[in-house]
Amino acid sequence: MTWVGKSLRRKEDDRLIRGRGLFTDDELAPGMLHLYILRSPYAHARILDVDVSAAEALPGVACTLTGREVAELCDPYMQLAPGPAANIRDLPMAVDKVVYQGEPVAAVAATSAAIAMDAGLLIEVDYEMLDSVMDVEQSLQDDTVLHDAAGTNRVWHGVFDYGDVDKAFAEAAHVVRIDRLHFHRYSSTPLENNACVAEWTRQGTVEFLCNNSFPGFAQQLLAPGLRLRTDQLHIRTYDVGGSFGNKIWNYVYMALAALASRKAGGQRVKWSEIRTEHLLASGHGNERTFLDTEVALDANGVLTAIRSRHLDDCGAYTRYEPLGCVIWSQVTPATYGIRNLRIDFTQAVTNKCPVVPNRGYSRMQHLWFMERVLDICAHELGIPADEMRLRNYIREFPYETPNGCIYDSGNYPAMLDKAKALIGWDDWQKKQAEARADGRLLGIGIGTTLDSGTNNFGQAQIMNPDLPFSGNSEVATMKLDLEGQIVVCLGTGPSGQGHETAASQVVADELNISPDSVYVRPGFDTAWNTFVGHSGTYASQFAVTGLSAVHGACQKLKAEMRRLAAFMLEAAEEDLDFCTGEEGPELRIKGTDRAINYWFLSNLVNNNNAMLPESLADVTLNVRHVYRPPFKVPDTERKFGNLTLTYAAQLHIAVIEVDRETGRPKILAYSAVDDCGKVINPKIAAGQVHGATNHGIGAALMESFNYDEIGNLLTSTFSDYCPITSMNIPDVQYGNIETPSPFSYNGAKGMGEGGGGPLHTIAAALQDALFAEGIIIDDSHHSPSRVFDRLQEPNRDRRVSVRSG
Amino acid sequence: MLSSQRFRFDGESTDSETTMYPAPFRYHRAGSADEAISLLAELGDGARPLAGGQTLLVWMKLRFDEPTDLVDIARIPNLSSIEHDDHQVRIGALATHGRIAASPLARLIPIVHDCANGIADRQVRSRGTIGGSLAAGDPSCDWPALLHTLDAEVLCQGPDGERTIGIGDFVEDLYATALQEGELVTGIRFALPPARSAGAYVGFKRCAPAYPTASAGVQLTLAEDADTCADVRIALGSAGLTPIHATAAEAELRGQALNETTIERAAEAAVAASDPVDDQRGSPAFKRAMLRVLVRRAVGIAIRRCNGESVEHSHEYY
Repeated sequence: MTWVGKSLRRKEDDRLIRGRGLFTDDELAPGMLHLYILRSPYAHARILDVDVSAAEALPGVACTLTGREVAELCDPYMQLAPGPAANIRDLPMAVDKVVYQGEPVAAVAATSAAIAMDAGLLIEVDYEMLDSVMDVEQSLQDDTVLHDAAGTNRVWHGVFDYGDVDKAFAEAAHVVRIDRLHFHRYSSTPLENNACVAEWTRQGTVEFLCNNSFPGFAQQLLAPGLRLRTDQLHIRTYDVGGSFGNKIWNYVYMALAALASRKAGGQRVKWSEIRTEHLLASGHGNERTFLDTEVALDANGVLTAIRSRHLDDCGAYTRYEPLGCVIWSQVTPATYGIRNLRIDFTQAVTNKCPVVPNRGYSRMQHLWFMERVLDICAHELGIPADEMRLRNYIREFPYETPNGCIYDSGNYPAMLDKAKALIGWDDWQKKQAEARADGRLLGIGIGTTLDSGTNNFGQAQIMNPDLPFSGNSEVATMKLDLEGQIVVCLGTGPSGQGHETAASQVVADELNISPDSVYVRPGFDTAWNTFVGHSGTYASQFAVTGLSAVHGACQKLKAEMRRLAAFMLEAAEEDLDFCTGEEGPELRIKGTDRAINYWFLSNLVNNNNAMLPESLADVTLNVRHVYRPPFKVPDTERKFGNLTLTYAAQLHIAVIEVDRETGRPKILAYSAVDDCGKVINPKIAAGQVHGATNHGIGAALMESFNYDEIGNLLTSTFSDYCPITSMNIPDVQYGNIETPSPFSYNGAKGMGEGGGGPLHTIAAALQDALFAEGIIIDDSHHSPSRVFDRLQEPNRDRRVSVRSG
Repeated sequence: MLSSQRFRFDGESTDSETTMYPAPFRYHRAGSADEAISLLAELGDGARPLAGGQTLLVWMKLRFDEPTDLVDIARIPNLSSIEHDDHQVRIGALATHGRIAASPLARLIPIVHDCANGIADRQVRSRGTIGGSLAAGDPSCDWPALLHTLDAEVLCQGPDGERTIGIGDFVEDLYATALQEGELVTGIRFALPPARSAGAYVGFKRCAPAYPTASAGVQLTLAEDADTCADVRIALGSAGLTPIHATAAEAELRGQALNETTIERAAEAAVAASDPVDDQRGSPAFKRAMLRVLVRRAVGIAIRRCNGESVEHSHEYY
């Protein structure tokens, strides 16, 4: 019996379905205070005065916090950027100036959330409005500078130059020029907003229950920010209702709750974000503009070179940035064999919400760019969509990309075949011809994308050679508990991905027991000592990092159990089998009925150890394993090296009809094929593919953060932002193939982010529907209103030019 | 149910958006309409009647409105009945969207079902009331547009007694109605559509919590020959600052043969009467294009229903 590969029912669901989960906002305690954060109504303004006296006078108010107090009690967060941007002062609350709408300017802790809010509205803040910088190109002019300490809005600039770009252009049969493409700003809007409960104890430690999804990183920012040792922070998560990267920088709010608790004399303080706060000020995805793109192709339509200028808008603070300036290069050539690229990459701040890693972080934006480039070239050269992909796909694996990344495995043509079969490709080709004969706008689009997982943090050094980060790691601890139970702790801090279930499957296989006999503790807890600096759930890596750590811990525990059992049974270690007997899990001498069960083993070490010999003195049945993927520090000069361990792939096909009259795009059919190597739990994997696909469809057709010219967020409620719901989701035909990764012990690849597949696919389908109308799909967002406007004003003549011969 | 947009004035920030709890208020429960009216009069202009709360509570949570007192009218007996005789339909102000959608009346008059069953989501439909929706005066709400289509009358009761206001006079402007201070909507009344008459109400919406981007209602009465329009009412929702009664569009159809040309002319005339605003749901030009399609579609469904066909329809998500 093996459990890996089976759709084991999720262990987490029993408590969740019965309402016995513990999400941060569920936490209640007598005397708990509630924090309200007053936020800037302006995108860019000087703070002249903050008067909290009326708020403090309100009965029930324990304390207030102002930016000036926060600046006295805190140190600014570490900046990752090199150069002038390293001087940006990032504190959890604005001090002299606000730089985005929704930035915290004051806070109130009170005995109820309602009183805190009433009090917050009594705080008087005097602002002097400043000009807002709402566009990345305008920002780079530096006419208005957001951060005086930096002196410039430019955060980062670098050129990624691989192969011989100029030679490839000189030899090109066709050169396609695309003057501008734009990837829009959206996020993942997890079901559970950000929240934390903080208690600054009288001993000077801080207790946190929170839903941060990268606690390894959060500790390293929070502790120095609060002027504490990391060991003085006790950070715990339990059930987390989704993160998708978005909860990586809620440490900013954790700090405010901690400071409020400190000022209130150690009372526990809860902060629970409301949806509009989440949309305004909890982190958006990176917005990116691609300028002056030129593409060289040979006579067969094979891409030989790309040169382009990319501008990334990171919002008002850098936070996790400028890592996104490098992370895209994990997938530099996308799924194509192109060897020559020169990408001139710049990032700048604007008066918008700071960005945060968002499902598909930075790679998705680049993959969308590459997909648009290939797709536009196919249309301009009259090459059918499937044929264009087949001429350009990478086919040999492992494959070293021009910048030194190693694509572990894959079979893109097989995925294309499968996706075609699922959607009924030939049938749709016929229907498309008929529809076109009737003057209808029906398009079929293919999107191929990558979900690179398990980062080499050494890529941070490509961005800033002084950063002390490289490699990657994750921890699992495992013990045989007093009564013989297997207890596993993870460092991953899951947010709904079923880690308890998947880890149980791995342990069950290793020990040859039922997953029911394995208890994986929910959540994350620094007190377990089960973390390293990389610990967290992000960047599609659990199946590799988390499960490799669990697998490694199993080997260590098994070795100890085997030694103990061999001693007690007077047998050779190699004669012992891990199996399940009448009394449950045990070790048995092969071919006999002589066995020792888990309780007996545990009791020997924990309660009854006088009989143990000196040679077993090191056995504790309590092991810790740190998994480290085999990475090297990249060559920062050449921007070259292996940046990610595994490359899951997705291939989607969409059929879309655009209503000529209203511009409404309607998805008529959709197929999604996934390859994440060896699948641990097919049902969980399928759930993640469906989730990522639906979210991507929402991102392409519905979800967008739109600002006006002075920095008001116009989509700050769900009525305006319109996240996708079941009412908008088409029937997705799902399939998968497995190309096991040679780089993970189990052949698995990290997955779940999905690489933004629907963004590429829907753009391609719309392109196919609208190319004959003189329209180039140059944006990643296609609200019906926008498609309608585009139909009135075709753009091909000004967007694209082709030079052949 | 609320779009922050509409409270934003150019050049100013969207203020007080990040609130979720209402300002303190006093709560009163009225046992009868008379008691509610006297309480409202006594408590003054800081008091609001509370029915299902699906608009008012949201406004209060966002602090767009900070009433000093709420007079809960939800339990007043006899204000939620849905009834009709051979001539007239009468719906109590406290009837919820959900109960209306599930009522025998909605089966009898499908256009009522089209509207009631498409409002927001199930939770809102089980709390929100027709009277509350009407009194909110929101041009994006479905009921005002539907009641224009049915040429309904609004039954009101206030300190000065009872009166009946035609729907055209009831909604005066954006969020403004003909209701006087302390006056309640107690019910809705409209004539039972005659034989050979049927209607359709169609709306396009992005997601459940969003109001329709545009909607159209058509109530059509066929002449004896079944091809000619004897009478028609056409109204548009989310098409301007108030629901729009598209009389010019009606004139294109009334007494005319129903065919592609006349229907197209009516759709054109309806679009010409509209004045949609630019917001996150779309540009005015886009909304006009949608309205054209909606009017055509509503007329089409109405014709089929007039001819005895059963057509299931509700708001369409796009």
